[in-house]
Amino acid sequence: MYLSQLYLKNFRNYTEEHLKFNKNINLLIGSNAQGKTNILESIYLIGTGGSHRTNIDSELINWQKDGLYLKGELIKDNQDYQLELSLLGRNKEIKINSNRLSRINDLIGYLNIVIFSPEDLSLVKGSPNLRRKFIDLEISQISPYYRHLISKYGKVLKQRNNLLKEIRDNKAPKEMLSVWDQQLIDLGSKIIKKRLESLIKLGILSKLMQRKITNGLEALELKYDTELDLDNNSSEDEIKESFKLKLKEKKEREIYQGATTLGPHRDDISLIVNNIDIRKFGSQGQQRTAALALKLAELEFMKGEIGEYPILLLDDVFSELDISRRSYLLDTIRDKIQTFITSTDLKHLDGLKGNHKIFEIKNGSAIEV
Amino acid sequence: MRYYAQPLSQLIGQLSKLPGVGPKTAQRLAFHILEMDQKDAQDLANSISEIRDKLSYCSICNNLTQNDPCQICSQHKRDKTLICIVEEVKDVIAMEKTGEYKGVYHVLHGAISPIDGVGPEDIKIKSLLPRLDENTSEVILATDPNVEGEATAMYISKLLKPLGVKVTRIAHGLPVGGDLEYADEVTLSKALEGRREI
Repeated sequence: MYLSQLYLKNFRNYTEEHLKFNKNINLLIGSNAQGKTNILESIYLIGTGGSHRTNIDSELINWQKDGLYLKGELIKDNQDYQLELSLLGRNKEIKINSNRLSRINDLIGYLNIVIFSPEDLSLVKGSPNLRRKFIDLEISQISPYYRHLISKYGKVLKQRNNLLKEIRDNKAPKEMLSVWDQQLIDLGSKIIKKRLESLIKLGILSKLMQRKITNGLEALELKYDTELDLDNNSSEDEIKESFKLKLKEKKEREIYQGATTLGPHRDDISLIVNNIDIRKFGSQGQQRTAALALKLAELEFMKGEIGEYPILLLDDVFSELDISRRSYLLDTIRDKIQTFITSTDLKHLDGLKGNHKIFEIKNGSAIEV
Repeated sequence: MRYYAQPLSQLIGQLSKLPGVGPKTAQRLAFHILEMDQKDAQDLANSISEIRDKLSYCSICNNLTQNDPCQICSQHKRDKTLICIVEEVKDVIAMEKTGEYKGVYHVLHGAISPIDGVGPEDIKIKSLLPRLDENTSEVILATDPNVEGEATAMYISKLLKPLGVKVTRIAHGLPVGGDLEYADEVTLSKALEGRREI
């Protein structure tokens, strides 16, 4: 799939811009604060219905304007799709081929996107939260049901944590916990099972990627890191059993802490290279390589699930990678993945051959060079 | 509000306290009331002032009613051994519209929600227990299918378990009359989970 053109009106610092993209590589070159990332953001917005940078929609609208409008043309399976998104005040409307969608969620599945931003470079050494977000976002793009599970689990968690504090302060009886435990275990186990399933596929792919990037020197392994007794192949019932048991063991402690300390919201993914957990003990280079391997595995994973490569957005990360990783990345995307790369200059892009287009971004306008 | 005569601004102020009514609508309504027939305006005022006095909660099922016990609880045709538990009075009306349900109700007036400081003692659960005896054939839990509704259903089912009463939970899934292809993924997944043998 690829985005053949994009029209922006009153989006961030763009008043009006019409861009025709290359099927393969598109370079957005310009100094800082000129609007490079804004273009990536607009692509992300029209693909997912939301921004990757902010939850406040009004920030996306050009200063002093009432609303914004985006129109993109997507080519997928040799078919044309016209995607339109308008935001007027708080009112968001999305159309596909001029048909208005009743729910924003119905947009998911048309234009799939993988984004690689500077934040992702710390995917390996950063907090567990980043890795949870990584896997959650990935499964959400292919399963709306998973998104529903996550949001419902969040609500149960909030209620249960509140109750734990009440019990601690003797405002509620301990017996009330079991009422929430059932839902916590049920939803939590479903989430964990889905994560395990994706992790198996992702594990195989990222192992392959890591091996290629390091010329066969490093074997990367992904493992679901949890306090529950389970392995990558545990069934949903086994997860439930273990969840139930551990929750019982932890009851007193959880009441004391006033927080739920067990479940998918506390789990992590451990990354092991040659028997060493590189989250803590890896070198900076190793960690970055693994982050890149994970992202590339994500591309292949999505291809496996939806049958086509998603669109890749590289936000200021290209210059952060060293020569060998850069050239590996370029080899991977060449001629098969539409990629948008932002950079301040062309210095690091000398390995670029063949199919590409360069846009010069200056103060809210993009000129093809 | 200096532009209005004092009685008018008072009426506008009262009307704008209603849900969905902003200052503009309140003003429009107030002027409308001012131009209404003397009798119509009086009737409106009377219905408003009487509603609190004339309506009360049914001492058996907590439904809103003019006479105690309520219309449903006092009907002979109704199966008193079948009790459907709902969160709100509105839910009773929804169930009644089906015309299919022949049992009686129990209105909880809320759901358990620790965030809002609502525990089991804050909703009408206590008054349910005296209604149950060896003749009770079934208790249907028809609380909302959200996390609070599920927790409330769970609490009541645990409470009733020692009594040996049959407790059921209403099914959730596909809307009838809809095509499968138009159902959203979440509803469909739920319906798939709750499938049954035929």
